[in-house]
Amino acid sequence: MNNEQSFFEYLQNSPPIIELVWLMISIFLLSIFISIIYLKYLRSHLRNNERIRGTYQMKYELNLITYLYSGNEDQEISPQQQIIINKLKKDLSDPFKRSIIVLTLLKLKNEISGELDESIQKLYFQTGLINFAISKLRSKKWYVVAKGVRELTQFHIKEVHDEVITLINHPKNEVRKEMQLYLVNLFSFKGLDFLDLLQTPLSEWDQIQLLEVLQRFDDQQVFDIKPWLKSSNDTVVIFALKLADIYIQFQAKEDLIELLAHKNEKIRIELLNVLGNLNIIVAKSIVMSNFSECSQEEQIAFFKMMEKMPESDDEPFLLEYIHHENFEIKLSALKNLKMINSSTFNIHKHLGTDPDFIRIVEFLEHN
Amino acid sequence: MEINTIEIFLVIRYIFFVYAITTIGSYIVLAIISATETIAYMKKNSFVNYKEILSSTIAPSISIIAPAYNESLNIIENVRSLLSNHYVNYDVIIVNDGSKDDSLEKLIKAYDLIKVDFLVNEQIPTKPLRAGIFKSTNPAFEKLIVVDKENGGKADALNTGLNLSNNKYVACIDVDCLLLEEALQKMVKPFLESTDTKVIAAGGVIRIANSCIIKDGKLIDVNLPKKMLEKGQILEYIRAFLLGRMAWSRLNGLLVISGAFGMFDKKIAIEVGGYDTKTVGEDMEIIVRMRGFMEEQKEKYKVAYIPDPLCWTEAPDNYKIFISQRNRWTRGTIETLRKHRKIGFNRKYRSMGLLSYPYWLFFERLAPLIEVLGLLYFGILVALKQVRWDYTAAFIIMAYLFTVLFSIVAILSEELTYHQYKKKGIGFNLLKIAFLEPFAVHPFIVYSAVVGNIDYYFNKKKKWGEMTRKGMTNTEKK
Repeated sequence: MNNEQSFFEYLQNSPPIIELVWLMISIFLLSIFISIIYLKYLRSHLRNNERIRGTYQMKYELNLITYLYSGNEDQEISPQQQIIINKLKKDLSDPFKRSIIVLTLLKLKNEISGELDESIQKLYFQTGLINFAISKLRSKKWYVVAKGVRELTQFHIKEVHDEVITLINHPKNEVRKEMQLYLVNLFSFKGLDFLDLLQTPLSEWDQIQLLEVLQRFDDQQVFDIKPWLKSSNDTVVIFALKLADIYIQFQAKEDLIELLAHKNEKIRIELLNVLGNLNIIVAKSIVMSNFSECSQEEQIAFFKMMEKMPESDDEPFLLEYIHHENFEIKLSALKNLKMINSSTFNIHKHLGTDPDFIRIVEFLEHN
Repeated sequence: MEINTIEIFLVIRYIFFVYAITTIGSYIVLAIISATETIAYMKKNSFVNYKEILSSTIAPSISIIAPAYNESLNIIENVRSLLSNHYVNYDVIIVNDGSKDDSLEKLIKAYDLIKVDFLVNEQIPTKPLRAGIFKSTNPAFEKLIVVDKENGGKADALNTGLNLSNNKYVACIDVDCLLLEEALQKMVKPFLESTDTKVIAAGGVIRIANSCIIKDGKLIDVNLPKKMLEKGQILEYIRAFLLGRMAWSRLNGLLVISGAFGMFDKKIAIEVGGYDTKTVGEDMEIIVRMRGFMEEQKEKYKVAYIPDPLCWTEAPDNYKIFISQRNRWTRGTIETLRKHRKIGFNRKYRSMGLLSYPYWLFFERLAPLIEVLGLLYFGILVALKQVRWDYTAAFIIMAYLFTVLFSIVAILSEELTYHQYKKKGIGFNLLKIAFLEPFAVHPFIVYSAVVGNIDYYFNKKKKWGEMTRKGMTNTEKK
């Protein structure tokens, strides 16, 4: 007690700076003490969680397998199945258990197909899990909404289309992305209709994911990309160009050519690649007439496009560029020239003194 | 003592005090920002399916550039590990930077390499090729390109890789690093996700693999090493990567991406002239230069940061190598800050000039020097019998407790996010390190920094130190 008193007296007689230091010491000490206790709790909690999760996962897996193999031929729910449904329903009120049930269901769903897959789908409705997923769509937290949409996608719940589509211009990219994946996963090319209404950008990451999903469908039916090529949303135009490239949309030729005058350079560069792949030769003369006004990146893209559709008529144009200062243009021009007329290449190969020119010629001669 | 002298002492005391309080304050602010950003990141990425990108042939192509110098001991396993990444569109460029050992011969034999004609657009000047460029005749290793060149240092080797790459993105890594399977798609994600801001580079967390079990290029088990130095570095890395860099990423003020693993927009990297071969801190220098370039172009840009533990590397396990490594880091920082001093306190460079640069200057570059000056000043006070020991004790306790607290917060952050050290007992061990590290590791860091300063100003010839690697491939627990 005396010590305590003397310490407080000491503090009172100390300058304010020392009082501040001791105050900070007390705060730090207390924080360290609390942090250590929390750390201890957290580590055991995480370990226990993992253990409990494993146990429940095993339990639910067993339940679900029993459910799948105890069905009646007349498609009605057997008493044993009903018991399992009731058990699962009871556990659904606990979010922790519910998340494990959903994960286990998904795991099984990915491993099976046919009738068993349908049974899982049915179980998703019977247990009422679908209601939890739908309620997530109304959450104020964006990540809960996104998770809800993802779950509905994974369980192929087409019935909530109208509710999901309202998220089309959600401020959070993650939610929009999940909404787009929902539409494409469940409605294939028809799902791409959201592009008509999309005002927000579609990132390259989103585009790759959508294209990946589309490629999984057996039915690669033709669809009309023309409206998207005219979209005021530049990222939609770029996505449409990718579609045109992958699904060889030659019928959109006129619209594609119109895009050569688009104000966005990125679109024009992507377009040159697509025009080359689709072998739309008429585009060459249009670009050539305006070539000097193109940016260097566009010029490089144009030369790459020319490599895909070499023609002897290109020779005079190519000769103008075999000594260009840009390495890639020079390489492409010489490569093209060698392809369309090797004798002209042989005449001109000696006419350059620039080391890059010489290296390129040597390389092309050996390859 | 004269009144004037007393006043001077008093002023110096307050300078140190203000510096200490500002340091503590800045750490607290960074920790808070970092926590918010980490939570946002975890939420954002908790349901991302990386497999869709992983298997996509339309995903952008990436070159992994890995310089190698006298890595003969583990080169075969290291390359195999790099080739086992699950991303589809990538190639691996191993730049054998004038190794004096049999690295190249080993690679030729193990991967059926043959010399090929390869046209290189030499956009960045580099040392000439030695034996040339090699590719494998075995289709299983078609992603591998090996370049043998004259020795020019790590930066020069990376520049050779930049010249050689035909891909849009390049991942520059240390050849002995272990990349996790999802590393490339996680790193490329920010580049592809951004629509209104250009991502010029992305950095990842580096974790220490000492004592971890690695088999066939895969991380099997995470363990805590036995030596205090290694354990201290683990804690230091957690603090730096989870608390420091995450916050700077939020502020778009990251000035450094670890040389062990970083991804770049190749076009910008080449446009700024690639890596600077005249500095030993090339990883920091290129980021500062790229950022400066973007600021000057007035383009909206970002240096992204991925907090996931994607890259595991071997840390020095003895004080000699540790000191040499930190000495080099110090010289690298000084070189970069001096070279780009026009950026500092310059409004034209916005947050980079007004926030990141001053922070690095005061709290990274000058911190060890101020610490040493503080000790010297304390020595003078002791000699002059001007020390109030009770006050001194209070200050030391405060500084020590803050260091411990900051380390514990870092451990908590690790537990709440990635929880890599799952085994029982490691938590207690990490706590023990938090209390001991200020005595067992920190003094060596300060010492290295001081020697680094001396070397920078008085021993200009000093370049890279040697890092003797034990190798982490197929490390089995003993």
